[in-house]
Amino acid sequence: MTELLLDPNIRVWVFLPIVIITFLVGIVRHYISIILSSQKKIELLQVQDSQVMIRARLLRENGKYLPRQSFAMRRYWFNNEDTGYFKVQKRAAASQNPMTDPGMMTDMLKGNVTNVLPMIVIGGWINWMFSGFLTTKVPFPLTLRFKPMLQRGVELAYLDASWVSSASWYFLNVFGLRTIYTLVLGENNAADQSKVMQEQMSGAAMAMPPDPKAAFKAEWEALEITEHRWSLANVESDLLATDSSNSL
Amino acid sequence: MSAIVKSKDNKPEPIAYSDAALRNNAAVVEYCRTSMAALSGSTAGVLGLTGLYGFAFYVFAVVILWLMFMIKAGSNWNKYYKSRQSLLTSGFFGALFTYVLFWTFIYGMVHVY
Repeated sequence: MTELLLDPNIRVWVFLPIVIITFLVGIVRHYISIILSSQKKIELLQVQDSQVMIRARLLRENGKYLPRQSFAMRRYWFNNEDTGYFKVQKRAAASQNPMTDPGMMTDMLKGNVTNVLPMIVIGGWINWMFSGFLTTKVPFPLTLRFKPMLQRGVELAYLDASWVSSASWYFLNVFGLRTIYTLVLGENNAADQSKVMQEQMSGAAMAMPPDPKAAFKAEWEALEITEHRWSLANVESDLLATDSSNSL
Repeated sequence: MSAIVKSKDNKPEPIAYSDAALRNNAAVVEYCRTSMAALSGSTAGVLGLTGLYGFAFYVFAVVILWLMFMIKAGSNWNKYYKSRQSLLTSGFFGALFTYVLFWTFIYGMVHVY
């Protein structure tokens, strides 16, 4: 069925090495980024701030399950003009540019070093070392639009679009092995860049508010306008009603 | 630990799901799905399936995996998952990419040269 005959040596010395190199580079990148990553130091004050914010939010959302006096007591502790937590605690307004913070800069540099640099270096090396081979054929027909994507480095106008060149085979591997890294290295591995982004997004709950002063003020306002509506006022009659309906 | 509360229309009782447990289940399902895609892709490559037969084989593998989940979970599947449909369809295209990669790889190794 092959209308084009490929040398079996290409399989052993080009096709297979590209898969192995791509896979191993991903794993090496995972471990290098573990070595380079610096544990972020969290100050006690920042943890305290974020926990207070969480407590205030919980009080706002679930305060309806508390009796009125308990709710008022907790709000007083946060919001009282003289002794309330949000009024007493004075935090310096944080207005720092991440660019001026040297620690942030090093982190960004490390991220670039572990993510972008290997991509360029290995990609360039693969291009230089294995350029100009047709490596394989995808087992399904493709339209002509896929030719520039799959046949990078081999510009032949009359070649069937389902043949794959070596450079494109490398890129297919880079994107396709992503899920395999999850399988091999576990969740949240560093071999895969999209996972890193998600991690940063979901880690926001643990992180401190960027500007505690503004956040305190906003939370104070929100708590101040919260109206206490006790949702358990009719709880006895509700319980008795369900009980009697069950026993019937 | 936060809990997702989902209420059903016909029942007044809201059902509380543990968020962490749901996430763990989803991760396990994802592992199974990736393994399934890799294994079935290799199988399709060794068998030398081409064109639509290969994609039909993928759909077949997904359905088989779903049936295996159902057998494993038994009659009380809703203790573990929120919906059976999403168990079948979620991650369909992500795993398809893995499947196509392994299919192409093994097909190239065995049949092209």
